Amino acid sequence: MQIACGNICPEEEAYSNLELNEDRCNKCGKCVDICPMDVLRFNHKGYPFMRYLDDCWYCDSCVFMCPRQAIKMDTLPYLIR
Amino acid sequence: MYHIEEADVIIIGAGPAGAMAAIKAYKQNPNLRIVILDKSKIETSGAAGRGMDALNTIAIPPASQPEDIVEHLTYVTEGVLDQKVAYLYGQMGMEVVKDLEEIMEREPGDLFPLDEDGNYQLYYLHPVDKALMIPMHGEEMKRAMAKAVRKTGAVVYDRTPAVKLIKENGKIAGVVGFNIRTGEYRYIKTKAVCLTAGCAGRIAMPSSGYLAGTYEFPGNSGDGYALAYEAGAELVNMECFQISVKIADHMGPGCAYVASPRGAKTTNRLGETMGSHPYASGDSRLRVWKNYAEGKGPLYLQMDHLSEEMIQIIEKCQFGNERTSRGTFHKNRGQDYRNKNAVEFIFAEDIGACGGHSSCGINSDINGASNIPGLYVAGDVDGGLPHSYLGGAIGMGSHIGKEAAKFAHENEQQEVKAVKSFMRNFIDEFEAPLRRDKGIPPHMVEFKARQRLQRYIVPPKNPDYLDLAVWWMNRIRQEDLPEVKAKDFHDLYKVHEIKSILLVGEMMSRASLFRTESRWGLQHWRVDIPEKKDEWEGHWVVIRKDGENMGMEKRAVPRAEWNFTNQMDYKYPELSFDVGKPFKRKADVKNPAEDKWMAEHYKKEGMATPKRFMD
Repeated sequence: MQIACGNICPEEEAYSNLELNEDRCNKCGKCVDICPMDVLRFNHKGYPFMRYLDDCWYCDSCVFMCPRQAIKMDTLPYLIR
Repeated sequence: MYHIEEADVIIIGAGPAGAMAAIKAYKQNPNLRIVILDKSKIETSGAAGRGMDALNTIAIPPASQPEDIVEHLTYVTEGVLDQKVAYLYGQMGMEVVKDLEEIMEREPGDLFPLDEDGNYQLYYLHPVDKALMIPMHGEEMKRAMAKAVRKTGAVVYDRTPAVKLIKENGKIAGVVGFNIRTGEYRYIKTKAVCLTAGCAGRIAMPSSGYLAGTYEFPGNSGDGYALAYEAGAELVNMECFQISVKIADHMGPGCAYVASPRGAKTTNRLGETMGSHPYASGDSRLRVWKNYAEGKGPLYLQMDHLSEEMIQIIEKCQFGNERTSRGTFHKNRGQDYRNKNAVEFIFAEDIGACGGHSSCGINSDINGASNIPGLYVAGDVDGGLPHSYLGGAIGMGSHIGKEAAKFAHENEQQEVKAVKSFMRNFIDEFEAPLRRDKGIPPHMVEFKARQRLQRYIVPPKNPDYLDLAVWWMNRIRQEDLPEVKAKDFHDLYKVHEIKSILLVGEMMSRASLFRTESRWGLQHWRVDIPEKKDEWEGHWVVIRKDGENMGMEKRAVPRAEWNFTNQMDYKYPELSFDVGKPFKRKADVKNPAEDKWMAEHYKKEGMATPKRFMD
């Protein structure tokens, strides 16, 4: 499993349609592991973020596979919203 | 960096077809070394990664018989079908259902409904008077399949799509895989391959402009078609396009198979129903097209006449299965199934190639075998069993797993030659976009290719537009790909996917040009030849790589053994509109034949921008 690299990617601070609750997330990486479109990576703090935002199929696998219900997808990508 | 490994059977793509192939190959011969290469993670990958709500086309006695599958497929393919393959699949229905119940550890009556007599309850949906659709409550299907696959001890390489098929002596000899996260390559020698890599669902464009907003799983970019073509496999029916009705902007299907058997309707803006069966064959697509062409769009999903209980049932199916973001999408837009005109549909965007939803795919025989010894195909990439959806993927996936295991047991590994120099050259070419200092981002090239396909190949098809599509695919391949810049391995694989998109787009265009008739309603309507031709009855367009060219051949399908109707009920309309008389000058006036004034300027300045522009 890839871990936090310590560098801040520009994508970390960009718009995202996933909302992460850092208090709930224990950085287990299950969401990064199961994302079928390989969208997610760990940010510089070790939390998941949408590194490849435009590849998201909004299938919400990350939401329901998260064992701690730390991810919410209350909105969809901007262009299809 | 690359690893050299050995396998007996390699599965390329572990969606439902590939997962079942692995499970059945293991059952057939537990001593085989089975390796699975998947672009994603097998627990969530593919079109059914988020579950499925029905087996759309399946025969389960006593409600329906194997012959009923032959009847239905003969009708919707208009006879361009190997009926023996259809009959074989028709016999598999009960096994498919029982396999799923076993893998998912669900009881009869739980995963699939039973009627009052304890038989499986099937529904009417298709354009035949037979019940051939069974609903399924299968959110966890893919994870259950993945669990069963991992239990076999098969080696699973997630995030490792196949990027090359290796042949020696005309037979399958190996596969090259590439890890899209680590950049590692695997050169795996093998005796047999099950190619189950899904459809080409990322071909044309959703009108939202969102590249991943596709009806099909966007990971299915047609790589399976491209791998097979490059290896010399034959493809058929690439001109019989998949044309979907979708929820406008969302990637979700138009719900015809979930909502319509439960009483929902599709109407146009005047409240008129489609006047067609809801099944997605070319005849019903033509009727949908007519509504838009006559200015009667948009189409709406109508459920306001249904009971609250039925609406809740449909919501549970729609929001909990397959495309689960539907609920969030509707909520954000304030769309409620209880209201009239609640959901707008959109049509004929995001055109693709798919064996399971249409007929496009790699040609296969009754054993799922392609023309390359050792290469078996099933699921959406398979053209041998059209219109078979998830049931076909599971049934034929199981079948090719057993066949590939048998082949691997009976045949020797082909000796592979010069692996080192092959891999050096392959990696050098594959990674060229990574080495460039700067260049065009892959998503821009993909946007351009898919936008051109959307512009030029959407039916009704026009031969000049199809020529333009071919021209654009070649131009992008020759001029843009050498300039594309990948910033990491994820991006690099995108470049590979774009190559598949260009190739499949070219196949769809060329096959459409080659088939000099119209057929399958809207799916292959040529405006210049708007009728079916006798000489094309029962014939495939077969595509096969011929040196550097795309070879095309007209070939008869195997002789029909059942005499079912092979003509759908539709008519191509005249595309001639009376828009009144054009403006005509009454006075005898005309402009000067010469333009001395502008000629003087041209003589003085040529094409240079005049200096006065900067003053």
